[in-house]
Amino acid sequence: MTLVFALAASALFGTGAYLVLNRDLVRVVLGVVVISQASVLTLIASGLVRGQAPIDPEPGLPVADPLSEAMALTAIVIGLAVTALLLTLVLRVVDAYRVRDLGEVSDEEAEQDERLERAEAAEHDAEEAAAR
Amino acid sequence: MTAAWIALVVPWAAGIVALVLDGRRRAVGWAAVAGLAVNFVALVVLAVGVIDDGPRSVTTGDWPAGVGITLRADALGVLFAALSSLTLLAATSHELADGIRERSFPGLVLLLATGLTGVFVTGDLFNFYVFFELSMTAAYVLATYGGGRRELGAALVFTTANLLGTFVFLLSVAGLYHVTGTLDMTRIADRMAVVEPSTALLIAVGFFVAFSVKLGLFPFHFWLPTVYTGAGPAVAAILSGGLANIGSYGLLRFGGEMLPRELEFAAVPLMVIGCASIIYGGILAVSRRTASEMLAYSAIGQVGYVLVAIGVGGAVGFAAAILYAVVNALNKTLMFLTLRMRGALVAGAFVIGALSVAGVPPAAGFVGKLELFHATAGDPALIVLIFLGGALSFVYVFQVYQFEFWRTAPSGPRSGRPQQAIVGALALLTLSVGLWPEPLLALSRDAAAVLGAVGG
Repeated sequence: MTLVFALAASALFGTGAYLVLNRDLVRVVLGVVVISQASVLTLIASGLVRGQAPIDPEPGLPVADPLSEAMALTAIVIGLAVTALLLTLVLRVVDAYRVRDLGEVSDEEAEQDERLERAEAAEHDAEEAAAR
Repeated sequence: MTAAWIALVVPWAAGIVALVLDGRRRAVGWAAVAGLAVNFVALVVLAVGVIDDGPRSVTTGDWPAGVGITLRADALGVLFAALSSLTLLAATSHELADGIRERSFPGLVLLLATGLTGVFVTGDLFNFYVFFELSMTAAYVLATYGGGRRELGAALVFTTANLLGTFVFLLSVAGLYHVTGTLDMTRIADRMAVVEPSTALLIAVGFFVAFSVKLGLFPFHFWLPTVYTGAGPAVAAILSGGLANIGSYGLLRFGGEMLPRELEFAAVPLMVIGCASIIYGGILAVSRRTASEMLAYSAIGQVGYVLVAIGVGGAVGFAAAILYAVVNALNKTLMFLTLRMRGALVAGAFVIGALSVAGVPPAAGFVGKLELFHATAGDPALIVLIFLGGALSFVYVFQVYQFEFWRTAPSGPRSGRPQQAIVGALALLTLSVGLWPEPLLALSRDAAAVLGAVGG
C-alpha cells in the first residue's frame, strides 16, 4: 500500500513540476495545485494505522489515524487559499502586462532592466569624465 | 505564558480588523503600529522571563500533554521572535511616516507578525507549518505592495518559488510524523535517535531545501534578487529582516535540535554551500551599481556565513550562527530602510550599516565576524574564505556609498524627521550592539545551549 501511495505522490509531483516549468502562467498555477495534492497524499499516507473513518467508528474495528487526516484537511484548506491567491496574482499580472506567458513577462522585465542599466552606465561615465 | 498569548492574539485580532478598514488612513496605520508595539513588548517580557527562569511550555485547550498542541518559549525562539517583531515595527513606522499607499498594508503586517510569533513559540511540528503558511501568505500579498508591474512580476516569482519550498517542507513533515509517530518537537528529537539513518537523511534534506529557499542560499536564491529589488524599501526590509529569520531559525531548530546526527553527517556539504553563497553573493554584489541590487546579492552572501557556522556546529558554532543571523537581520533592516532617503542623518546611518555588513568595528557586524572566526578557528581554509567574503563586502558597500552619497548630488526633497529618527535609532542600536556586545553574546549562547541540551 505504501508503495502505491509513494508512486502516486511521485507521479503527481513530477506532473506538477513539469507544469510549473511551463511558460504559460495558468499552467504554472495548475502545477502548484498538483504539487500540493502530492503533499496532501503523502500526509494521508503517513498515517500510522489504517481502518474505518475516525468519526463515529464502530467498536472493535481498527480506526484510521485521525492525526494524519487532520493534517491533510488543514493542508487542503491552506492549499485552497493559496491557489486563490495565486490565481488573483496571475490575473493582476496578466492585467498589468497584457500577456499570459511567463517568457514575455520576463522578456519585458529584462528589457526594462537593460534600459535602466544603460542609463546608469551612461550617468556613471559622465561622472567619471567630469571627475577627470 | 500570558505574554505569549498577548503576543499572538493582539496582532491577530488587530490584523483582521485592520484588513476590513482602509489602511491608507493614518489612524489605521497608527493602530497597526500600536498592535506591533504590543506584540514586541509582550515578546520582550516573555524573553526576560524565559532567560531568568528557563523555558516554558503550555498545552493548548487543556488537553493532556501529548495530545494537544504545545506552545513553548525558549531562549532561541523568543530571541528570533523579538528580533522579527522589532523589524516589522521599525519598517511599518517608517512606511507610516511616509504615508501608506495601499489599504491592506497594516492588516497584512499585523498578520505577518502573528505568523512569525507563532512560528517561533510553537512546539508542535504541524502547528509550525500552519503559522509558517500564515506568515508566508501575508508576505506574498505584501510583495505586491506598490502595485506596479515590477512588484507584481516579483511577487509572482516569490509566491511560486516559496510555495514549492512549502510543499517540500510538508512532505518532510509527513515523513517525520511517519517515522516518529509524534508531532511534538521535543519528542521527535528524542525518538530520532532510533530512526534508520538513510530515511532520516532524506527527511533532513527536505527540510534543508525548504529553509534554504526561504533564506535564499546560493543554489536556491534564484527568486531573491528580483523580489528584493522589485519591492519597496519597507517591504524589502520586512522580507529580509523579518521573514528570512524563519529560514535561519528553521535550520537551527530542525537541524540542531531534531536532526543533529544528520546535521553532523552533512557538515562538509553545508559548509561548501555556505562558502559558495558567500563568494557568489559577494562577487555579484560588487558588480552592481544600485544600492537595492547590491543589498539583494549581499543578502545571499551574508546568509552563507550563517550556514557555515551551522555546519561547524557545537555550542560555539550554533552561538555564532544565532549571533550572525541576528546581526544580519538588523543590518538588512537598517540598510533597506535607508534606500531612497535623503538627509543628513541618512548618510551616517548608511555608513554604520555598511561598516556592520563589512564587519568593521565598532558596528555590530564586527562581533558577528569575530564569533565566526572563533567558531572556525581550527580550519584555515574556512578562515580564508570568510576573510575573502568580508573583503568583498567591504568593497561593495563602500562602492555603493560612493555612488549614492558622494557622486550624485542629492535630488528630491529631504526625508521627514520621523523617518530619519527611525533610521537613526536603528543605526544607534547596531552601533551599541557593536560597542557593548555582552548581552547579545550571552543571549546567543543561551539560545545555543537550548539546542545542545536537547540534541546533544
